[in-house]
Amino acid sequence: MKFQNNKISNLKFVILLVCLSFSAYSQTEISGIVIQKNGTPIPGANVYLEGTYDGTTTDDNGKFLFTTSEINEQVLVASFVSFETFRITKSVSEMQQLTIKLREDVSSLDTVVISAGTFEAGDNSKVSVLKPLDVVTTASALGDFVGALQTLPGTTTVSEDGRLFVRGGDAGETQIFIDGIRVFTPYTPSANNIPTRGRYSPFLFDGITFSTGGYSAEYGQALSSVLLLNTIDFPDQEKTEVSIMSVGGGLGNTQIWDNNSLSVNASYINLAPYNELFPDRNDWQKPFETFAGESVYRHKFENGLFKIYGAYDATKFQLTQEDINEPEGINFKLNNQNFYTNTSYTGRLKNKWKLETGASFTLSKTDVSVIEDNIDDTEKSAHLKLKLHKNFSNRFKMSYGVEQFLTDFDEDFNNESFNANYGFNNNISAAFTEADIIFSKKFAIKLGLRGEYSQLFDAFTLSPRTSLAYKVSKNSQLSLAYGDFYQQPLSEYLKFQKDLKAQNAQHYILNYQYTANNRIFRAELYRKEYDNLVTYNADFPSSDTNFNTNGNGFAQGIDFFWRDNESIKNMDYWVSYSYLDTERKYKNYPVAATPNFANTHNLSVVGKYWIEDCKSQVGFSYQYGSGRTYTNPNENGFLQDKTKDYNSLSLNWAYLLSQQQILYFSVNNVLGFTNINGYQYANTPNVNGDFARRTLRPATDQFFFVGFFWTISDDGQDNQLDNL
Amino acid sequence: MKKSLLLILLFVSVVGFSQTKYETGMQKAFDLWQADKSWDAANLFERITQAEPEKWLPPYYVAQINVINSFIEKDKTKLTAQLEKAQDFINQAKTNSKENAEILILEAQWYTAWIVFDGQQYGMKYSAKVQKLYQKALEIAPNNPRVILSKAEWDIGSAAYFKQSLEPYCKDIQRAIELFATFKPEGEFYPTYGEERAQKIFETNCKQ
Repeated sequence: MKFQNNKISNLKFVILLVCLSFSAYSQTEISGIVIQKNGTPIPGANVYLEGTYDGTTTDDNGKFLFTTSEINEQVLVASFVSFETFRITKSVSEMQQLTIKLREDVSSLDTVVISAGTFEAGDNSKVSVLKPLDVVTTASALGDFVGALQTLPGTTTVSEDGRLFVRGGDAGETQIFIDGIRVFTPYTPSANNIPTRGRYSPFLFDGITFSTGGYSAEYGQALSSVLLLNTIDFPDQEKTEVSIMSVGGGLGNTQIWDNNSLSVNASYINLAPYNELFPDRNDWQKPFETFAGESVYRHKFENGLFKIYGAYDATKFQLTQEDINEPEGINFKLNNQNFYTNTSYTGRLKNKWKLETGASFTLSKTDVSVIEDNIDDTEKSAHLKLKLHKNFSNRFKMSYGVEQFLTDFDEDFNNESFNANYGFNNNISAAFTEADIIFSKKFAIKLGLRGEYSQLFDAFTLSPRTSLAYKVSKNSQLSLAYGDFYQQPLSEYLKFQKDLKAQNAQHYILNYQYTANNRIFRAELYRKEYDNLVTYNADFPSSDTNFNTNGNGFAQGIDFFWRDNESIKNMDYWVSYSYLDTERKYKNYPVAATPNFANTHNLSVVGKYWIEDCKSQVGFSYQYGSGRTYTNPNENGFLQDKTKDYNSLSLNWAYLLSQQQILYFSVNNVLGFTNINGYQYANTPNVNGDFARRTLRPATDQFFFVGFFWTISDDGQDNQLDNL
Repeated sequence: MKKSLLLILLFVSVVGFSQTKYETGMQKAFDLWQADKSWDAANLFERITQAEPEKWLPPYYVAQINVINSFIEKDKTKLTAQLEKAQDFINQAKTNSKENAEILILEAQWYTAWIVFDGQQYGMKYSAKVQKLYQKALEIAPNNPRVILSKAEWDIGSAAYFKQSLEPYCKDIQRAIELFATFKPEGEFYPTYGEERAQKIFETNCKQ
């Protein structure tokens, strides 16, 4: 008995001890349910106490139950993909029958995006209309990034110019930015009636945003449109690229060491052999010849990236073009040298601040001789910019920035009887701020304000901009945008008259967008109102012309875009259609009229088909533009007649000889449509009282291109397909 | 005497229990994974990750499950969310274990998931990155059969496409199979997968 008692007391002691130890490790049940805002349970969510092993996954009904030996205050975490992680601090004894509502993560892909006016390319964007490769595989583009954008709605077919004409605006109303920094001379110079090309090689960029209206307050000095190009951040590997083309050749090399990389590129284009084989409508004394060199140096810091980009190119040509008033034709000679450098730094700072800063400098010298007149101009321009960005949360972001534009333009004009020198200094200071507020996955708003001070005019302008987007269903959304935009008159007027005013445009945009399964549909309705456009009273601007800024105008229309990469296997195609109604009274227009760079209907169809068995990509691109206006002096009126419609079908074929060797062929206007750009009328009537006219045809009806592209890299895989 | 013994025993068992918490957790996660509950397993690996912030294996497995499940995901929103999550955990694994060939392979698979999802958009952009990662992994661990296998599998894909000889890569696969036979993982719960896959690839590509 005693023995037993002893045993019992021992047992009691053990039980007591165990209980004691369990009270230190006593198990508490934690339970509850995880639901969405609308009450739908979330199965599969991870629920746990922070810093411990205690937790579980919610069941099919969103319920969770687990035990913990933790005591006192703990942090309970609930997380699930596409939702914001939920945290609550309370005593474990109160963590029973919890109802946890997870908020949707607005940074996820299915959140509404502000899409009014904007087309994006690149995989950083949520909705990509163009892919980076498109720039170079679109049949009609011939490797020109501007050419590819001309297949998007909102652009007008002005085939003899080559620049971007957006929604009734002229080419000068579109500004181009590289890494957020302005490019002052983006196009290669060309003669009348010969299309120009973008100066910069497309493979430098991996992101392209093209806005046809309503863009951010970050961008100024553009009435109609901005094109934003982002250079590749850091190359993946060292390589050498060789290209041999029917019009010239190119050589490129990329080196990488530690946190640095350097890419160097050189290209030489000479159209002499091509003109020899396929003579065009001009008489070339010195066929188009250009040398271009580019280099990019990049350095990675722990929290930032520094890039310095430099490009130099020299272009020369001389030709005689027919002219109705000059039986001998007009002799035109051009020599252009252009240097551009762009330095940028982006870095992450503390507390979710981000810094973006950069500067660009352009030096462009152009010597032109037209018959007996010599015009030499020198443009020196710079852009300095600083922008700060802060993410207060996923739902609220702010940015602030300041920038300075400096332009020094100088022109010498001389012929046998006359000498003149003129120019201007145009300095603009600007500041902008913008807020992005995402109320929910369905509703977002962007508010921006931009102020600019022009030293030349001693005038200040203020541009409010706003856009909002609302998701109407799982795959579709509506966006609205409004904005005020100011731009100084172009240098062709400023050089003669400095006392002018900034031109103004107001944009109103309504956009509908549907995206699902690699298909995109967009429809965009817009109205644009112009004010303070430059007017003058002479046939062409000169130093004794009287300038004013009391022109105005409007443009309105609707754009449609459809892209489908799903319905037909290996086939990717898109269709763009734009309807445009525009009139303006500017320059020396006697009445408001539709300018000759605007037409009513534009249609583009682009297709690409990958033939697996032939290792080939074949592509086509069809462009249609309805007739453009011209003035017929034999009848009453101004810009009253229209040319016939424009049609062109281009084909290309890229064949992979091996992983690193590509053979490329393309033909523009393969069906040989006879296109008419306009008419030139004689200055004086003939004996019958009629003004004779000359038809302005493209310099060539068709263009053929053959190229061989070879990449040499360590891994033997990379190629220049994205270079074509 | 008895009391103190019991106390010591209890103390030891408590300490012993906390030491094996990691092991039991990891084991449980693998059991869930085996039982076809990969998301539950991923959640548990994630919990272990935050309880053991110095270890590289838990975040490695969170990322691996997300990457593997992405190969069959067709919805871009879900795919993006999963791969973004995987990337965060790859980064954490990399912070905890530098110059680790297993993590480099996983990173290469992460890029491959994008290529599989949309070859036209990501193929050109990411192939070079994948290639570079495998090359680096091979430099770090020239005798790791998974490195040899993954790189050879990638190379076979492109060589077959261009109708080039698969022979050198078949030799690599053969070598991987031999290495698998004697492969000893560096520690508990270290990756061991790949042998069956190597056999299968050899069967389909290298036996004519």
